[in-house]
Parts: sequence; structure tokens; C-alpha cells
Amino acid sequence: MKHILISDPTLRDGNHAVAHQLSASQVAIYCQAADRAAIPIVEVGHGNGLGASSLQVGESLETDVVLLETARKHLTKSKLGIHVIPGFATIQRDLKRAIEIGVDVIRVASHCTEADITQRHLGFAREKGKEAYGVLMMSHMASPELLVEEAQKMELYGAEGIIIMDSAGAYLPSDVIERIAALVDGLSVPVGFHGHNNLGMGIANSLAAVDAGATILDGTARGFGAGAGNAQLEVLVAVLSKLGYTTGIDLYKVLDAADIAEKEIMPLVPIIKSESIVSGLAGVFSGFSKHVTRISNEYNVDQRDVYFELGRRKVVAGQEDLIIEVVLDLVKLKKK
Amino acid sequence: MKQETINSLKADCEISLSDYLESLEGLKDQSILITGGTGFVGKWIAEAVSLLNNEYNFNIKLYLLARNVQEYKEEVPHLAKQSFINLIEQDVRNVGIIPEDVKWVIHAAGSPDNRKHSINPLKTMDTFYKGTNAILDACLRLPSINKFIHLSSNNVYGQPIHPQTQIKENQLGVLDCNTVKAAYSESKRMAETVCAIYRNQQKLPIVIIRPFSLIGPYQGLEKPWAINNFIRDSILGGPIRILGNEDTIRSYLYGSDMAFWLLKALANGKRGATYNLGGDQPISLKDLSGKVTSNFSNKIEVLVKYSKQYPAHPSVSVPDTTAIKQDLDVKQTIDFDLALKKTINWYKHAGI
Repeated sequence: MKHILISDPTLRDGNHAVAHQLSASQVAIYCQAADRAAIPIVEVGHGNGLGASSLQVGESLETDVVLLETARKHLTKSKLGIHVIPGFATIQRDLKRAIEIGVDVIRVASHCTEADITQRHLGFAREKGKEAYGVLMMSHMASPELLVEEAQKMELYGAEGIIIMDSAGAYLPSDVIERIAALVDGLSVPVGFHGHNNLGMGIANSLAAVDAGATILDGTARGFGAGAGNAQLEVLVAVLSKLGYTTGIDLYKVLDAADIAEKEIMPLVPIIKSESIVSGLAGVFSGFSKHVTRISNEYNVDQRDVYFELGRRKVVAGQEDLIIEVVLDLVKLKKK
Repeated sequence: MKQETINSLKADCEISLSDYLESLEGLKDQSILITGGTGFVGKWIAEAVSLLNNEYNFNIKLYLLARNVQEYKEEVPHLAKQSFINLIEQDVRNVGIIPEDVKWVIHAAGSPDNRKHSINPLKTMDTFYKGTNAILDACLRLPSINKFIHLSSNNVYGQPIHPQTQIKENQLGVLDCNTVKAAYSESKRMAETVCAIYRNQQKLPIVIIRPFSLIGPYQGLEKPWAINNFIRDSILGGPIRILGNEDTIRSYLYGSDMAFWLLKALANGKRGATYNLGGDQPISLKDLSGKVTSNFSNKIEVLVKYSKQYPAHPSVSVPDTTAIKQDLDVKQTIDFDLALKKTINWYKHAGI
């Protein structure tokens, strides 16, 4: 029976959905529930990962130290994971401290064409004996061939698995199969998939990834995450079980964890709003949604136009400042 | 570095010196230049020469050429302070003049660390192509030169023609030049071609050595090779991760054996010859992980992570060392088990 490693970023990707305002007590409550369900990896932190709290991408309610120390205290069976984007997270200031707090799993991420920047962080994580993965974000923006080359670099740097993220929720199952199959063929280490639900494909794409050879999947409780949310964890666990895969997760307890998450940490359960569909079609990072809505409303611009223009300009996470530029350009056009 | 650690390196060299003393006589009172002289190869040769000079009055002078000699002074002061060692801080690509008393050269410049190749593929190719060209050109300006060892790599073999057997020097396999990993292998092949041109047109006495996997102190546990990672993860308490096919087969040669094989090649290698250099005890990554963990008293978990099912017949990257043994009468004096034990002990003392 094939085993799928599940990583749960409810407390990291979900932070996007609440403008990074998850509190320590919410982290504690969900970690306890996730631990009871034996979810293998629970990822915690600012939506953009370690060290990302800033005016540019949003300030966290809690510091990294508080979030990680709280999670560490309440995770006994589950491993504590972090999302690390070099540039936001530095080795000396952030990564060393996270390791001292006791993180088990370090996922070092870059835009899908910039794996070069992950070398030092991946190397450092492995040198400290930590479980280290490479993550290629916004993977729909690269061809399968280029993705394989970038992933191969991460493998050289020491990544013991490569996860591609559908950060914009832009994939259809055939896109996923093409990319995952190419990665499985081109890499020695396991391949994973992190799905978003903008086009309602979160679960379908995750299953397509498994069919193509992926053995690592990400999912969040109730799909709590950026934009339209992620592949819904409890559904994923149930469907994988129905298909004959093992995850090591207790179904009843993960269902309980999702109920607790809905009640305790989600102001709103993610749904696929109109702008999320547009964001998925345009291939724009789901984490932009709150900023796009706010700025579009402020300037009375149709946010669907903003998404398509952002997609045309191929913006990536970290370029949130371009949203205002696009909105102002649309205002100018409107005046003409 | 503790005196006890320094003594253990000297003891290793004593073992590896074996019965070679007489055959190395030609190097007495000679000056040897080593490019990339502050790396793993250079440090072990310096340890070997230190033994020859201090115990057997060889009076060899070493010139170690490297881009950064300050680190070397800090890392191995017991070598740097020896009067026979002369440090030259220079990029090998810019070498024009080398000391006139040099009659022997070991060209070992360029890192085999594939992370560096991936980050800087063009610089990698530049270093191996232009560096080899520059040092050979500089040798032409010497009054005379007795031997030039070009340290190549087993990477030049690419995908072996006969994957299940030990590789002979004439069994060059297939290299896919259109990949991100190709910069190192292709530039090593190119550097060998540069050597062939200088050997043919300028009649330089060049010997090419193709090292396979090496093991021992001075390698650095951060290096991205399976055995280093296994040792590092074990020292940290585990688990060990085997990434990819656990049946992949390698063999290992210990640093002090490597140093004396290279000195033998320098003194006695046939002009124009190409020799494999490496251990002759094949071992799979799975068995290797078992041997590493058996050197630790605590139980260390071994995890295997892979993307797909691998073929039943694993790839073998083990040298056929018949040629170097026949021509130079070298032997592996420190077998793999002892080499592993020594390496682990060294890193335990050095701390990571």
C-alpha cells in the first residue's frame, strides 16, 4: 500500500486568510487537535514564512518566536515545520533561532525559476540535521522542463524532497500530471504537490499529482489558506484512504481538528469567490487577494481587471507593491 | 587542531607510505607546485610530504597555489608554519609565472562540490578550461618540467557503457551536455582535451588521474556526498537519509592513500598515461549506512527517500584500478572499514 506524507500548513497558509493575525492561543488549540490526529507535519508561521512579517507583505499579530514556541509546546507526535523564503528569512537572524526553538522540518522556498537562492538555507538546514525540502512556488509560471532543472538544483543543495506549489490555483489536473511526471522522472528524491482551490481543483489536482508519482501532499483544515483556500485536508485524507493510500492520520480526529479549526481560528470558511476564480484564471498568487480587494475598492476599480493585468505582468509574491501601480494605471485608463 | 589529531594524520601517512620510499627518491630535493593546494588533495599531500621531509630527509619544497590562503593558515597552522610550505595567493586562471625551481606540478584546482557548479556553472567551466590552459602555459615558461599531473574526475565517464562493472580508463560513457548538471563533467572533459593538446603539441609530460570517491579528514561534512552526510547525521544522532537508489554502488579511497598514489604518479607515472584512482571495495549506499551506524553506540534510524522504483540492477561507480596498480605498484593500505572508522573518529574530535 502506498504511503503519502501529509504536511498541514493550516497555521501558515491560513495566516494569509486572516492577514497574518493568528494568535498564540489559536495556534495552541489547532496544534493540540492536529497532534491528536497524528498529522505528520504541522507548518506554522506568517503566511509568507519565517521572518516575513513586514509592512510590505503584512505584519503578524505574533512574532515568529511566539508562534513557534507555542506550536512546539503542543506538538508531541506531529513534526513542527516552517516555510522559509530566503530574503525574508536569514540564516543568522531567523533560521538559527527557529532551530533552537525546535523545528523539525524546514521547507525552503523560492519562486519557481529562482532555486539558486535556496542553496545556503537548504545547506544550513541539512548541516543541522533537519528534515529539509525544496519548494518551488508559483510553479505554473515555468515549463515542466525548467521546473525539473530548478528542482534538480534544490536536490543538489541537499533537499530530500521537492514540492511544487500551485500558488495561484491555476492548474488543471492535466497540467499537474505533466509536471509531476517530469519531476519524478528527473529527480531521485520524493516529489510533492501543494494545491490551491481557485478553480475548484484543489483535491482533484492533488489526486492527479499522486497518480503521477507524487508522495507528498499539502492540505489545510477546511482549506484554510490564501485566496480560495487550499486542498482541504480532511477531504484529502478521506479520499486517499478510499483510494487505498495510507497517511497515518486518524480520520475521525482529523475531522474533529477541522471542526475545531472552523470554530476557533476561522472568521470565515474559505469559499471560491468570484475574484478567486479570476485570480486562478489569471495565474496570480492567492496571497494577493486581500490587498487587491482593498486597493480596488479604494479606487473604485473592478478587481477582476486588476487580476488579469497582474497576471499579464507576471507578478510574483513579494511584489505586492505593484498592485497599487496596476490599479492607478487602470484609473488613468478609465479617465481616458 | 589538537596534537593528538595531528599525530593521527601522521600515523595514517606512515601506513600509506607502505614500501614506496625508494620509488619516491626522484622527488628528493625537488620543488612541487600544487594548484588548488589548500583543498582536500593539497592538505593530504602536505601531510605526506611533511612525513617524507621530517622523517626521511626528502627536503621537498611545496608551493601551494590557491585563491584564499588565509583560511588555510587558520585551519591547518601545523602545516602552514612548516618551512617547506610556500603559499601563493592567486586565481589559477591568472597564473603567468611560477617559481623557476618547480619541476613537478599537480593541477588540482577547482572544487568538486556540485552545489558550487550549479550556482556558478559558467565560472566552473571557466576555472577548469582557462585554469588548465593558464597553468600549462606557465609550465612552458619553466626551464624544465619533469611531470605534470592533471587531476580530472570520474565524472568524465558520464553514464557508464557497462553499468554493472568496474570502469576502465578507456570506457568513457555518455554525457548529456544539455543539463544543469553538465557544467562540471563537460569542463573536466574539456580540461583533459586541453592536456592532450599540450602533451601532443608542446610535448609536456602530462599524466591524467581520475579520482573516484574519497574519504577522510579535511573533506568537510557539509559536502553534498552520501558518506559525508551519513557521518554528519549520525554524529547529530540521526536519522540518516538515503536519497535515491539505496542499491547504488560506490567505493572509497582514504586521504593518505590518495596522497601517496598521487606522489607515486608524480614520480613514476608514464607520460601520457591516464589512471583511475579510487578504492576497490564496492559497497552499496544501504550497506554503507549500516557500516556508518555500526560505528556509533546509539541506535540511528536509516530512512530511504526516493521518487520512483529503481531498476533491479543498480548503477556502479567503482574504478578498475588495474592500470595504476600495474604501472605504479600502489595499493589500498587502509581498507574501507578502517578508513571509515578513522574518518568518523576525526570528525568526532574536530566537532561539527
